Amino acid sequence: MTLGLMALGLIVIYAIGPMRANVLNSAYGTNYGPNDFFLGQLRSVALSIVAFFLAFKVIPYKYIRKYAKLIIIVALLMSGLLWILAMSGSSLAKCELGECRWYNFGPISFQPAEFLKLALTIYLADFLARKREENEIGKWKEFWLPLLIVCGLSLGLVVVAQGDLGTGVALMAIIFGMLLVSEVSFRQFALLLAVVLVVAVGAIATSSHRMQRINAWLDTISGAEVTDSTYHIENAMLAIGTGGFFGAGIGNSVQATGYLPESINDSVFAIMGETFGFVGLSVIIAVFGAILFRMLSIAEHTEQNDRRLLVIGVFSWTLAQVVVNIMAMTGLVPVTGITLPLLSYGGTSMVFISFAIGLVLQLSCYTSREVIKNEDISSRRGVRGTHYSSRRRRA
Amino acid sequence: MSNGIFRIRLLRSLTIISLAVIFVRLFFIQIIEHDAWVAKANEQHTLLETITAKRGEVYMMDGSEPVAVVLNQTVYQVIIDPATTDKEQIKEALSKHAKDFISADLDEVYEIKGLRYYIVARNVPYSNAVKIAEEGINNVWLKEGNRRVYPEGEMASSLLGFVNADGIGQYGVEGSLNKILSGNDGLLKTTADINKVALSIGKDNVKIPAEDGKDIVLSVDRNLEKGAEEIIAEHLNNSNATNAAMIIMNPKTSEVVAMSSLPNYNPGDYGHVKDASIYINQVTEVPYEPASICKNFVFSAAINEGKMTAESTYFNEPYVVVDGIKIWNAEQRAKINNHTLTMKEALYWSLNAGSIQALKFLGDDPDSINATGRERMYDYYYNKFRLGQATGIELIEAEGFIWDPHAEIYGLDAAYANMTFGQNLGITMIQTATAFSAVVNGGYYRTPSIVKGTLENGVITPLENRETISEQILSSETSATMRDMLINNRSWRYNPAGYDWGGKSGTAQVVINGAYDNEMENLIGSYAGFVGQQGEIPDYVIMVKMWGEGEAVGSGDAMDLFESLASFVVDYYKIKPKA
Repeated sequence: MTLGLMALGLIVIYAIGPMRANVLNSAYGTNYGPNDFFLGQLRSVALSIVAFFLAFKVIPYKYIRKYAKLIIIVALLMSGLLWILAMSGSSLAKCELGECRWYNFGPISFQPAEFLKLALTIYLADFLARKREENEIGKWKEFWLPLLIVCGLSLGLVVVAQGDLGTGVALMAIIFGMLLVSEVSFRQFALLLAVVLVVAVGAIATSSHRMQRINAWLDTISGAEVTDSTYHIENAMLAIGTGGFFGAGIGNSVQATGYLPESINDSVFAIMGETFGFVGLSVIIAVFGAILFRMLSIAEHTEQNDRRLLVIGVFSWTLAQVVVNIMAMTGLVPVTGITLPLLSYGGTSMVFISFAIGLVLQLSCYTSREVIKNEDISSRRGVRGTHYSSRRRRA
Repeated sequence: MSNGIFRIRLLRSLTIISLAVIFVRLFFIQIIEHDAWVAKANEQHTLLETITAKRGEVYMMDGSEPVAVVLNQTVYQVIIDPATTDKEQIKEALSKHAKDFISADLDEVYEIKGLRYYIVARNVPYSNAVKIAEEGINNVWLKEGNRRVYPEGEMASSLLGFVNADGIGQYGVEGSLNKILSGNDGLLKTTADINKVALSIGKDNVKIPAEDGKDIVLSVDRNLEKGAEEIIAEHLNNSNATNAAMIIMNPKTSEVVAMSSLPNYNPGDYGHVKDASIYINQVTEVPYEPASICKNFVFSAAINEGKMTAESTYFNEPYVVVDGIKIWNAEQRAKINNHTLTMKEALYWSLNAGSIQALKFLGDDPDSINATGRERMYDYYYNKFRLGQATGIELIEAEGFIWDPHAEIYGLDAAYANMTFGQNLGITMIQTATAFSAVVNGGYYRTPSIVKGTLENGVITPLENRETISEQILSSETSATMRDMLINNRSWRYNPAGYDWGGKSGTAQVVINGAYDNEMENLIGSYAGFVGQQGEIPDYVIMVKMWGEGEAVGSGDAMDLFESLASFVVDYYKIKPKA
């Protein structure tokens, strides 16, 4: 299913890549070739498949868990360094529209925030499991303080330093999804959620740029006239709406010829709506649904707490990106600038989510046939190692 | 169930709800709202573009060959972004390559805020535009357009007219034949990308090609036109008149070979004309009182009806009283006042009493004007000579005005008496010249024309659906009698051996504040005459009109001009004298 989605993304990018190149070349005087985006996506898919199999078959999770702290430190340092490089105006930091989110290594660029999502998932799985074993969940000094420091740093580097609200939403989803399953008390969970919501509302209300996005969204759903700020949502919905039941067919998207911003990245779902119609989008949503339910099923059948948390982390990450991206494209939530996993153009995000899904599949090989009902998972270690049929392993 | 599993199931519910919401939303947008979004998309994606048809060119004759007198030229507009950073560079390039075409003060343009598009030079020829493009300055664009070029400059300007900024022909041939010249614009309806570049994606793309306008060939002879205008200009210099109008036509076909209204203007620079009245073609668009020239028409009518001959007589008094109004003869001489004169003598001296007598003859009562006379005169003036009616020439025309023979006004007989010597009516020069042609050409009224046809691949095709009249309205005897009287007329003093030159003058008083200017300070001089071989139907009819505001321009000036033009026509067409 994962590979199927990647292939679908590749086909769509193949069809609309030349249009995108044309639009960028005429608007910014760039010099993209007609197949540059397709070749770029092909490279990303190839790298993602490598990452997927590395995580699935090659690198055992226990080693990854062993280096969880190191991984999060490296990830935070990479984001921190990018910030410093961007502040100093180094050419190593690649900026677009005033936001510096990429390392620039000549032909290859790298987005450390994507690595941070994976690193935080791995770290939290280890941290939360350890704290549970040490019975320190909910304690201020032992639990909340280190947790808030790591999460706060991660969010700060992504949302504030890189101005990447989309990744911020994904990180939030990872944090809250894993916390929920970590068996933090509902009271503390709700309190934290409330605090975060208050901070989020405050952050929106004090920023004219964010308020504008909210207003644009409200204008769009209320059917007000198209303005510069409602343009993106309006055109995404227009692409989806014109798709109708069966869509216009591959290569027949008009919205991709420059009307819809970010047609190959954040807005690829809308282009797919125009291309494949309601039928096609339903299939895509069904596939994402299947992947998500499969992850939840794996989590349910995983005995070890750290592994279950890791699966939930990857699930939350995927769910957030899928739901927030599609809801933004359909005018249900404001546009945050979040990619659609496996389908959007963009190397780093695809490679890391593929790695994460590969990891989930690796863990699925060690699940119990039974849903783990006993709270004391440590007593059921004997069941570990059960191998499911290959059909069950597909995700 | 453990707390962990319960919370996982909570996540499952959240997932189901989220995906369900998305599913419903998609159903709503893609199925229920589909048509509305398609309508919106069409609005956004459809490019409607007019494919401009190429305007036809205008030709005159050069002997038997058509020669272009109105052409199209590809020109360019230079457009800049006022916020450009290359201000000095643009200034330098423009003054170097397009100095004469700069249409805006660059320093002022640079001060404009909020506009990203400003035309700074217009009508820049290709060769200059290329040089500007070669400079490669940012924020400078060239936009291709078309300009009408009049290679003969001011010649025949009121006949040719001009094309306005919207590409619509105004006045003259450009105006009257705008539909044929402009052709039909085509339409491009296509799905386009955001840069308005047509895409092959759409299903309903439409392309209707433009139908280019047709080239028009006028019957006007360029050399004759040019020579005649030079002669007119010279006569204007040597007289009180400031304006003149002229038409030369072949009376056997009513084909116009020259037509002008002076002063001229430059149709390529029509915007700089101070007095817009010079756009008007005086020959076809302005009804006036051609005065005694009209005596030909009432004389022809009475002779043709057999009510009088050239030798019929009447007692000529210095004035005639009609409806209590004294109508004076302009000529007051002892040898003609209170004498019995023939009608030929009356025309020779251009006596108003004589033309009024012709009207009386028409009514079968030599002593008074009656309804029968009015009716018969009206029948000739309006129905046969078609005075006061548009002639149907391929130009913008005025109709004019003739009194109805039963009009319920005080002094209708006086009005008709006036109409016999060309006052109290309004007719155009083209009407007068065409009617005059009928008088001298054997009696045939023919619809005048100035267009030979459309030109395609060297072949001239006559215009379609044109209604023309060719009708004998006078007997050839009447016409011959009239010619004889016009050749031997007092207002014609020169008759070269072997030729028949003749004509009739007309001096019209001008109406000022609703009444004729009896002080004679404002006069319009006209002359209608013909030239040809002795004893034959004339080859050309020439009519001229001269005037000037506040100036008394007599028929003498008009006759002098006729004489110069007649000599020129005979020389130009090499009309041989009778052997």
